[in-house]
Amino acid sequence: MKTLGRFAKDLDRNKALLLMVLPATLWFIFFAYLPMLGTIISFKEYRVSGGFLSSIINSRWVGFDNFKFLFSTDDAFIITRNTLLYNIVFIFIGLVLAVAMAIVLSEIANKKLAKWYQTGMFMPYFLSWVIVGYFAYSFLSFDRGMVNKIALAFGIDPVQFYSEPKYWPFIIVIVFLWKSLGYNSVVYLAAIMGIDKSLYEAAMIDGANKWQQIRNITLPMLTPLMTILTLLAIGRIFYADFGLFYQVTRDSGTLYNVTNVIDTYVYRGLKTTGEIGMSTAAGLYQSFVGFVLVITSNYVVRKVNKDNALF
Amino acid sequence: MGSTRKKLSIGLASILAVMLFLSACGNNGSSNNASPTGNAGNSEEPVELSWYTIGTPQKDVDKIMGEVSKYTKDKIGVTVKMTMIDWGDYNQKMQVLTASGADMDIMFTASWAFDYVQNARKGAFAPIDDLLKAQGKGITEVLDPAFLEGSKVDGKNYGVPANKELPAQEVWRFNKNLLDENKLSIADVRTLESLEPLLKTVKQNNPDVVPLQVDKNFMPYTPYDYLIEKFPLAVKLDDTGYKIVNIFETPEMKQALATMHKYYTAGYVPTEAATLESSSDVQATGKWFTDKATTQPFADNVWSTSYGYPIVSTPQSDALIYNLSVMGSMQAISANSKNKEKAMEFLNLLNTDPVLRNLVDSGIEGTHYKKTDANYMENLPESKNYDMPTFSLGNVMLTHLNPGDPADKWEQFKSYNDAGKPAILLGFNFDPTKVSNEIAAVQNAKEAFWAPLMTGTVDPEKYAPQAIKKLNDAGLGKILAEAQSQMDAWKTANNK
Amino acid sequence: MASLTKPRDFHKLSPVWNVIFNMIAGLFALACVFPFLFVTIISFTDEKTLARDGYSLFPKKWSIDAYDYIFKAGDQLLRSYGVTIFVTVVGTALSMVFISLFAYAISRRGFKYRNFFSFFAFFTMLFNGGLVPTYIVTTKLLGLQNSIWALILPLTVNAFYIMIMRTFFSTMIPDAIIESGKIDGAGEFGIFFRLVIPLALPGLATIALFSTLGYWNDWFNALLYIEDPNLVPLQSMLIRIENSMQFILQNSNNPSLGMGVLQSMPQDTSRMAMVVLATGPIVLAYPFFQRYFVQGLTVGAVKE
Repeated sequence: MKTLGRFAKDLDRNKALLLMVLPATLWFIFFAYLPMLGTIISFKEYRVSGGFLSSIINSRWVGFDNFKFLFSTDDAFIITRNTLLYNIVFIFIGLVLAVAMAIVLSEIANKKLAKWYQTGMFMPYFLSWVIVGYFAYSFLSFDRGMVNKIALAFGIDPVQFYSEPKYWPFIIVIVFLWKSLGYNSVVYLAAIMGIDKSLYEAAMIDGANKWQQIRNITLPMLTPLMTILTLLAIGRIFYADFGLFYQVTRDSGTLYNVTNVIDTYVYRGLKTTGEIGMSTAAGLYQSFVGFVLVITSNYVVRKVNKDNALF
Repeated sequence: MGSTRKKLSIGLASILAVMLFLSACGNNGSSNNASPTGNAGNSEEPVELSWYTIGTPQKDVDKIMGEVSKYTKDKIGVTVKMTMIDWGDYNQKMQVLTASGADMDIMFTASWAFDYVQNARKGAFAPIDDLLKAQGKGITEVLDPAFLEGSKVDGKNYGVPANKELPAQEVWRFNKNLLDENKLSIADVRTLESLEPLLKTVKQNNPDVVPLQVDKNFMPYTPYDYLIEKFPLAVKLDDTGYKIVNIFETPEMKQALATMHKYYTAGYVPTEAATLESSSDVQATGKWFTDKATTQPFADNVWSTSYGYPIVSTPQSDALIYNLSVMGSMQAISANSKNKEKAMEFLNLLNTDPVLRNLVDSGIEGTHYKKTDANYMENLPESKNYDMPTFSLGNVMLTHLNPGDPADKWEQFKSYNDAGKPAILLGFNFDPTKVSNEIAAVQNAKEAFWAPLMTGTVDPEKYAPQAIKKLNDAGLGKILAEAQSQMDAWKTANNK
Repeated sequence: MASLTKPRDFHKLSPVWNVIFNMIAGLFALACVFPFLFVTIISFTDEKTLARDGYSLFPKKWSIDAYDYIFKAGDQLLRSYGVTIFVTVVGTALSMVFISLFAYAISRRGFKYRNFFSFFAFFTMLFNGGLVPTYIVTTKLLGLQNSIWALILPLTVNAFYIMIMRTFFSTMIPDAIIESGKIDGAGEFGIFFRLVIPLALPGLATIALFSTLGYWNDWFNALLYIEDPNLVPLQSMLIRIENSMQFILQNSNNPSLGMGVLQSMPQDTSRMAMVVLATGPIVLAYPFFQRYFVQGLTVGAVKE
């Protein structure tokens, strides 16, 4: 009774803040948690019979059978490796470049120019992967591609990019960074804008030069944001951007060794059977691994600095 | 304090209760609303049928369905609401709609869009065998029996095939301008190998032309019937033992791949054929000499008009009726439909009544088209608001002829259909449920080298054995064994 | 503008570094703008020329056929603009309210259930129910089929933005400000709206920008929930054309499809024209947004 009393007291004391979280909490319940109950179909062989609920109830339990196709062949290793490695590279290079670009933008003397640069960097965000794929093709095509036309002009033999796996890890990373850098640096730019200007003034008085200011003020002030964004990215480390690995590579079979990721594997594998139980299972597996990784890293972050942790 | 707690727990409980209540309503609500009208179908109150079909949504759909409803209300007591889903969205949208048990009555399905066999097995469609006997007699009379025979899934029919060209025949198409220019004859062309002298001449005389246009969808013709489209299991067309084989291990495919590779090395095939999504670019410019296509009566005319230069063709295979050719365009009745009988009555009318069929196809006479003759019509400017894919809306042989069509167009179709012989696997549909894990793995293994091998981009001497090994590692053997046992059972059941 | 640049003037970069920084940012920005220019040029290229020569910056023959094709749809395009703008404006406004309230609460160290709600939001970033269950909740439970709210509500809250916003709140708002507000007798909402919001403007502006772009670019909700042509947003029109082109091309060797549909299919150039029409307005509007945001930022800088 006493603990309940304390609980009620806590509620009362926090009621204003509780009221603040209420709208979004309701949203989460309806648009995230209620649908989440549907993941149960990853343990079922889903067959339609009447409405969704009765279909779920009447479908056969299959235990973990729906997960098996993710692990059954050599491809399991390849897709896990590719997904993980690309994401690790994306996370770290992406982080370094986004912060660097934000600092560059914030330090450019002509603010008007800086705004134009920033606007320009945002443009790729508007292009779908299909368009980006066509655009990449206009660069990399064997007989019409710009790269090969230039190579020919210099007397270099043209390259069949779409059947040469060795170039693709670089192409994929470059295309990814090109598309995402503008978007990602905006967050850091905003954070830099929000830094208390008096800190820099104090450093000036102490005689710190620009580089020292960046190292001793800007970067430490950005650390919480960097930590949070990295943690969040780790949570999605088993998810790959389908369009990047499917459209941009033109689904070229010869490249699968370096371009097949979990998402493309699942797409190709389920085309014939269309089992939604299996696709849900794949999603659950991806989420679960991300969840474990993020909880672990969050634990580490908590040990170092409690304030930078997610929760 | 206690009261706060109480309030809170009551609040929480009531939120939960409301949620449960709502979800229960949500699931039953639709059926409650619909069932009274469904039962009273035959009496005064007309039933509204909800019809989902493929194609770019047209502005005037509702207007025309209004007209359709007027007509069908008098005839069979139904009104029709059509929802069009664009080509690229159809698969995904229909999958979500059926899996969520949405309220639909009629939907378009085919081997290539909202996969007919797959979704029939998943329980998306109602079996229609009884309905065909009771309300769909007209359909059975109109259709060549092979249509219904070939579209059986596990012994039952789930869809009404559209009456159209029945057999499939592979041809070589030629750009006639280049044939004439080089004074070439196609009289002796049939096999892949027989093309060689022609390709050589064209390559020499027209260096900017692609001699043999091939894209990533290309497969050389071999006398085999595939179990699943673009999947390496097949049965030889004349094999009365019904033995399933891996297509890459057959002498015919081995030879075809070697020839393709020879052509590729000789520069007859586009360099990037294995990743080329389509041939539309060269078709637009006319810078190609020959390619492989599936024909139907008057196809040469259709191709010539649509490309803007003359096309001729010559067969490379016999005209056979495959599972895929009978499942090119079908209408199914949703398993969740409350008006299955009415839906079948409507489909029956759609496939037998020229007035209804042409209304659905071309719109309102005088607004969207005008008749120029008993059988001929001409589109009016308004037809841009109602431009429907004819083949997807039922019996095409009831539709008016377009300017330029031969008067005996549909007779020609009928005799073409009558001449078609069933392919060996007609009526057999493999059920992959038990081996879906292996299928997923094999699909991935297969896609890695399928297009490179088929287009001749890589040397089959070196890569075909690798491919076979990867397929077997991924579990092709298990799929084959399962398929063979289903096949043997089917063979016995059908006295083959 | 002035107040933003001025305090920085006296600790500027050296001119050499300034040039280097300009080059880095400028070149990358150019690389980002280039494809867009390219797309625009392709959209004005003659279809035959495109098929023959491939993509080129200087096409031999220009044409506006692609735009003709799209403008045939006429009022459909205008209506789609209307839908997109409405959804973007209303959605972003709602989003800002939901997200900033939630993020602020969980940024407060004094909030007893801070960790619970952080986790509650974060968990949804990882796990989701998949397409079908979401569809069921939205259509059957909430009844949003064919409603404009189906384009707005599913995107209103986003745990990712909440986490960013929370970080902005906790790094930019000193506890002292909140304490001083409390001492002045202000309630939590008073503190939030009068003291916290002005200070958090850079962060809010960022999230508003993301949310705007998110709504503008969204097409998937329209695919799922919208069948009424009057409610189809711009991006959805574009993606429909893209998907359908790809689908038809992939199935072009299918006899029934190949014969009947290939001719009436939209062409490459029309697709590019659609990209120009769908992204052009927001790209042109972006500098105005930015000026507005910069003003917001400046106010924030002065206040503090």
